[in-house]
Amino acid sequence: MQQTFTPGRVVRALAPLAWIGPAVVLIAVVVVWPVVVMVQSSFLKISRFGVVQGSNGLDNYTKLFAEPDFGGVMTRSLVWVVAVVVLTVALSLGLAQLFNQRFPGRRFARWALIAPWAASVLMTAIIFKWMLDPEVGLINMIRRNLGLLDALGGADADPLGNAATAMPWLVFVAVFVSLPFTTYALLAGLSAIPSDVYEAAKMDGASRFRTYWSITLPLLRPALVVATLINVMNVFNSFPIIWAMTHGQPGYSTATSTIFMYILKGSDIGESAAMSVVNFGMVIVLTIIFLKVSKWRTEVS
Amino acid sequence: MHVNKRLVGAVTLGLAAALVMTACGSEAPAAGGDKAAGGGVTLKLVAADYGDGPTAENSGEKFWKGVVDEFQAANPGIKVDVQVINWNDIDKQVATMVQNGQVPDILQTGDYSGFVKDGLLYKTDEVLSPQTSGDLLEKFAEFGKVEGVGYGIPFVSSARALFYNKALFDKAGIAEAPKTWDELKAAAEKLKASGVSQPFGLPLGNEEAQAESFLWFMGNGGGYKDASGAWTVDSPANVEAFEYLKGLVKAGLTTPNPGTKNRKDVWADFAAGKVGMVNGGPMSIPIFEKGGLTDFGVAPIAGKTGPLDTTLGVQDWIMAFNKNGRKEEIKKFFDFFYGGTAAQKISDTYKLLPVTKSGIERLSSDEKLKPFLDALPNATFYPFQDPKWSEVNTQIKQTIGSAIDGDPKAVLGAIQKTATAN
Repeated sequence: MQQTFTPGRVVRALAPLAWIGPAVVLIAVVVVWPVVVMVQSSFLKISRFGVVQGSNGLDNYTKLFAEPDFGGVMTRSLVWVVAVVVLTVALSLGLAQLFNQRFPGRRFARWALIAPWAASVLMTAIIFKWMLDPEVGLINMIRRNLGLLDALGGADADPLGNAATAMPWLVFVAVFVSLPFTTYALLAGLSAIPSDVYEAAKMDGASRFRTYWSITLPLLRPALVVATLINVMNVFNSFPIIWAMTHGQPGYSTATSTIFMYILKGSDIGESAAMSVVNFGMVIVLTIIFLKVSKWRTEVS
Repeated sequence: MHVNKRLVGAVTLGLAAALVMTACGSEAPAAGGDKAAGGGVTLKLVAADYGDGPTAENSGEKFWKGVVDEFQAANPGIKVDVQVINWNDIDKQVATMVQNGQVPDILQTGDYSGFVKDGLLYKTDEVLSPQTSGDLLEKFAEFGKVEGVGYGIPFVSSARALFYNKALFDKAGIAEAPKTWDELKAAAEKLKASGVSQPFGLPLGNEEAQAESFLWFMGNGGGYKDASGAWTVDSPANVEAFEYLKGLVKAGLTTPNPGTKNRKDVWADFAAGKVGMVNGGPMSIPIFEKGGLTDFGVAPIAGKTGPLDTTLGVQDWIMAFNKNGRKEEIKKFFDFFYGGTAAQKISDTYKLLPVTKSGIERLSSDEKLKPFLDALPNATFYPFQDPKWSEVNTQIKQTIGSAIDGDPKAVLGAIQKTATAN
């Protein structure tokens, strides 16, 4: 074929650009550029007041890794992600199965499930913080009325005051706000499974458990993988719940890496940028590991 | 050729659009920076919120709008854009503005010293008229100087004292405010026995842990620095102060888990009659009264062996950035602010103490503010002129409360390490 360089050809070759151009520009400006600046900042010496004072080599990273709380914060972030995602997915599998059945009031129940999703996460977190307030918290009042709590105002009525009791509550709120999306993603997956495979299983006399394990779960895998992956990234970067409820305190004992990064921003912007880069790397590594483990590319046989 | 023409047309159109957009883009700074163009100058003012947030009756937005409207009416050529930011975020947001080169013309916040080293600020005498700077209290103006040159302009001040709930004290059979740590503990035990859930309100959460801790250090003759200016965060006196607090907390005589509690919430609990005593300042008076508590007493803060003869003084600052070169307009604004009713209005609205001689004179008849005005001359300030202070302060806010559950020596030692690191 003869390749002539006529204007018409050029226009035709460039035509797709008009369609994908805006998206490319958007990604470049909103995603790529901040990442570049973030990585750059992590090698700069920046005063707390925002003045760039030149290159800092690897010092920001050395300082970050030498922080006495760094190890604890990273371990906590991993535990946080695993705990929240595993609980969310396990509960959502059950909920999706339930909502996939026909029962009276199903439409209403499906709508109700959206509520925690529709409310702002920050708002939900603040509401839970107040419900757990030692003096006036609704949950504490109920606990007292049930005889589980002697008096309001003391340390027993302050579950958010120390890490051992605060973490479970933080995980609870995170699961609470993650359930709707995950359940709906799985529900969509469930309704895409054709009914004839179930009929075939029934003819073969498969038990319910066997049907679920060998038919539902494998066919649900694409939806499950996507839902879990989005949860992993969301939960790892989750900020408002912990910030609003405990601020990472006492000390750094309820802080994850995202919270730690934000607090560092108050004293050393370069070090904070280094933490962001580490965070970014962690999300990528977690994603790769997850995709490998879930073998997302392999077809269901 | 038909297609080609269309292409040329599109390119021309695109270029034209680009030119128009560039023109629009470059217009904004020109209008702001150049008076000769006939338009006005727009000053950007960033300020901290002394009120209860954007929707509150006493919000910073409302206060500044009142000031700015009056100023603009008197100075038709100058516009002032105000951005009010809450105390928790203002430092980070201002740092971001500086990093991006979008500095405000005027900034009102809790610290100025960090901007001086990088040469970002106008000197005080470049933006203040002699009569305004002459009215500022010398002691305060002195703290606004770095190496003898003034950069920070005192904005408002406050001092601390011990507030106690008279009704709860009567009920518990306590005759007067405690003067020593032993008396304080005895009073707290009596309050507890009479059913008060938080005998002593102790906020060591991130909002203002550095203030509460400092008051307890002072009670034992300690502090963040010694007289020679060396850091002493983990001095034996400071560690002992935290050991004492630890005892109070363990005995259930304070706010539970103080390392996670903020001053705002503890003051709200005091206003609600759930706290027996709490350290507060003049600015807490309106909060207590709004919460329905008027029957409270104010006394000097208890120390280990006797009441404090000093207290924590806090000054906030206003400063002018030199990047946009608008010192004449800034000067007009400052003269208006200090010379007119604005500075008075801020003391009235938020019960903050004035920083000018005329302002203090005017308030000296206010019964409730008197203990604080009396305490001001003897006040001790944060070591904010030390460039390390802001980093140390961040760490104190986040971690010092964990000294209550953990080992005070270790927690204070870690802060000392940050303070003395190069």
